[in-house]
Amino acid sequence: MPSLYLPIAEMPVDVTVVLLVSGLVGFVSGLVGVGGGFIMTPSLIFLGVPAPVAVATGASQIAATSFSGIMSQSRRNSVDWRMGVLLSIGGVLGSVFGVSLFHRLLALGQLDLIIQLLYVVFLALVGALMLAESIAVLRGRSGRSANVLSRPARTLAHRLPLRLRFPRSGLYISLIPPLFLGFAVGVLAAIMGVGGAFILVPAMIYLLRMPTNVVVGTSMFQILVVMALVVILQSTATHKVDLVLSALLMLGGVVGAQFGSRVGARMRSEQIRASLGLILLGASAFFLFGLVWEPRELFTLTDGP
Amino acid sequence: MRRIVLPVLAVLALLTGSAVAQAPAPPAAGELPAAVAQDQITVNSDYRGSVIDVWGVNTDRRGRGDIVVAVRGPSEPASVMRKRRFLGLWVNGEPVRFSAAPSFFAVLSNRNLREIASPQEIWALQLDPAASARLAGATPPGTAPSDYRAALVRLRTRQDLYQEIPGYRREDNVGLRLYTGGLFRARVALPANAPIADYKVDTYLFRFGHLVSAQHITVKIERIGVERRIHDLATHASLLYGFLTVLLALGAGYVSAYLFRRG
Repeated sequence: MPSLYLPIAEMPVDVTVVLLVSGLVGFVSGLVGVGGGFIMTPSLIFLGVPAPVAVATGASQIAATSFSGIMSQSRRNSVDWRMGVLLSIGGVLGSVFGVSLFHRLLALGQLDLIIQLLYVVFLALVGALMLAESIAVLRGRSGRSANVLSRPARTLAHRLPLRLRFPRSGLYISLIPPLFLGFAVGVLAAIMGVGGAFILVPAMIYLLRMPTNVVVGTSMFQILVVMALVVILQSTATHKVDLVLSALLMLGGVVGAQFGSRVGARMRSEQIRASLGLILLGASAFFLFGLVWEPRELFTLTDGP
Repeated sequence: MRRIVLPVLAVLALLTGSAVAQAPAPPAAGELPAAVAQDQITVNSDYRGSVIDVWGVNTDRRGRGDIVVAVRGPSEPASVMRKRRFLGLWVNGEPVRFSAAPSFFAVLSNRNLREIASPQEIWALQLDPAASARLAGATPPGTAPSDYRAALVRLRTRQDLYQEIPGYRREDNVGLRLYTGGLFRARVALPANAPIADYKVDTYLFRFGHLVSAQHITVKIERIGVERRIHDLATHASLLYGFLTVLLALGAGYVSAYLFRRG
């Protein structure tokens, strides 16, 4: 078991364990088609990596995975660049705000609480959606995946002012909802250390009414821009990005994701999604339990002023 | 090799009655000359913690006196929070700040410290980590400062950052071990999470409850090689470091997309 000392986290880690964990997370993300940030960050914290380092370093791994995804998506011409740029502008503003919020919460001692609450809510939400969707598909009520809610023909996005044409998506909608959506995802990305595809993708489908074939590529573009910015902001503001850990995560995550998507192509996706939905619901309950149950140690210690 | 040779040299020098000239830190004259086996510890990519070995001799012919060795890391600010129930959830209360608390603290002695020195002396010499932790302000109403002080010590003790070892602990090979002729060795295990900094090693000789001799040695822990370069870049050129990390991510993404492309 070779161990490697992480220069920023200031701790030794077992290389095999980190590669296994990041490979497994990558495998699941490739299998199901999710980013995996919301599994990776808690896993790193579980391995003993300090939470700020886990959040800041996880972002670099998500950037690597999304860039790899964009490479293959753009070959298939499934990126709406105009929408991507608009979402990214919102995302950039959101992540700048998110990083400053991260600092303020850290100083108040409430960062852990907010991160845990966000995980409780979002893991439950995504888990429930995945489970409901796959059960619906398994029962044969719906022929296509990603379609639990009915898609309205016209949404708020079509009625608001400042409308813009998006030829690749075949849309003529207001630029306010994409900017707002990008902003919200940017804030979450900076605080939770996630890409935010689990919010971005459904919102793009149901709120913006984008065609499903461009949604994945376009969301990856926004995630890449936001994550790259989060890495740079966290490096300069908190010095919490660990280059060695980041390299290990990229290696494991990228390889795992490739195997995951290969296996996923040969399996029935509904069953995989249903089981992941259950796991996410369980993880949400676990986070909730940690907040409600009286802890054995009431005191916590943080370094720094 | 260096770790073995130096203590041996120190022991030989001590046994032959000459001063420990070969040892890295020349001891000040006193009744308890001591030296460290290694005054510089390096941290590279396979660092998993280390040990500080202090060798010395009690010059009293009849071996009277008690030996105390304290190893202290730099004092740094810290804050402690107490969880309270809020809307059914356990939420951190107001942080209580310490303007300075030792980041690492180990005190070794040949027998229980409280039998060697009076509480006043322990407090004055800061032989107890709680004694060196300075509160920056008042604690929230209805709470006692001593609770927060005790929590700081308890949490750091659990991380092996604060250690109090009376006597010699054979199973871990740490503590203060006495040999014949007044020779002693104090060994402290530094966990990998102990900060990378300059450590202060102080040796004290007590006789009948009073301090008769004290000596101070510095041990440096430093990053070397890649660890040092990465850390320096991250702290002194953080913008460049951030861009480098992004570039690494793009490179990794590109290579994987290229290697695993289909068709």
